Amino acid sequence: MKDIARQSMSIKVESMDLLNQQIKMEAHASATYLAMASWCEQNGFFTSAKFFYKQTEEERGHMMKIFEFLVDTGGNPVSPEVTDINHDYSSIVDVFENTLEHEVAVTKSIHNIVKKARELGDLATERFLDWFVLEQVEEENTIRDILDMINVTGTEGVGLQMIDNKVADWID
Amino acid sequence: MNVIYQSTYYTLYQSVKERSFYVDFGQKMVRMSLCQLLSLRYKVMSIPIESHFDGDLNEHGFEVLLLCNKEHLFVLNTYEILDLKQFVEQSFVALGLSVGAETASV
Repeated sequence: MKDIARQSMSIKVESMDLLNQQIKMEAHASATYLAMASWCEQNGFFTSAKFFYKQTEEERGHMMKIFEFLVDTGGNPVSPEVTDINHDYSSIVDVFENTLEHEVAVTKSIHNIVKKARELGDLATERFLDWFVLEQVEEENTIRDILDMINVTGTEGVGLQMIDNKVADWID
Repeated sequence: MNVIYQSTYYTLYQSVKERSFYVDFGQKMVRMSLCQLLSLRYKVMSIPIESHFDGDLNEHGFEVLLLCNKEHLFVLNTYEILDLKQFVEQSFVALGLSVGAETASV
């Protein structure tokens, strides 16, 4: 008997479910960074706002990369519902600390899918996620560097203005 | 057509000649591509079965299921939904696209 199912789909449905959850997580991250951009604009951190506009596009790019992978493998990608976006931050430090927390959560989620794909023997998904594993190292490092810069600069006097200007180093 | 999986109320068939699947819902037989089967799986697995045991959340214990781009409509009771959830899960195991619930949890 021909295996029509395998001919139509090349990953396991368990991997597909986890990747759909990841699509939702990336969409949530994209919307969260847009909210952070809004906060930065309203509080005079215009360079940081530009940084978060770029981040929001990057996260959407990650989402689309997974979405297209599911299409290529014959899966069923689901357009995510994004709710519960926080718009309230106490300071620019709070914004970047939240960003790092978000990135760490994304990293953990990616690692979890890699482990699951390995357990399932789903080589295509495992190899596909290689790029995301390395991308998350870079993403976390960027935010850690910004937090280090904030720590060195300090928030007293013109510190906040200097911090905002310095964020430009991480935009390109 | 070959039977792939059968539960109390539903049967999944595979037609190699037509390169498609058929689901016998009892009331009618529905032809589906794998994409449509995946869509059925998503819809069925998204049904919050707990609400069937809470009179405020689901007063009458029914679910309306629209399939294949709204071509088919089914009204199913709690027993049928419970069976459909198990049917969908086991059908994908039988198709070789799932490893099953016991190893699927992370």
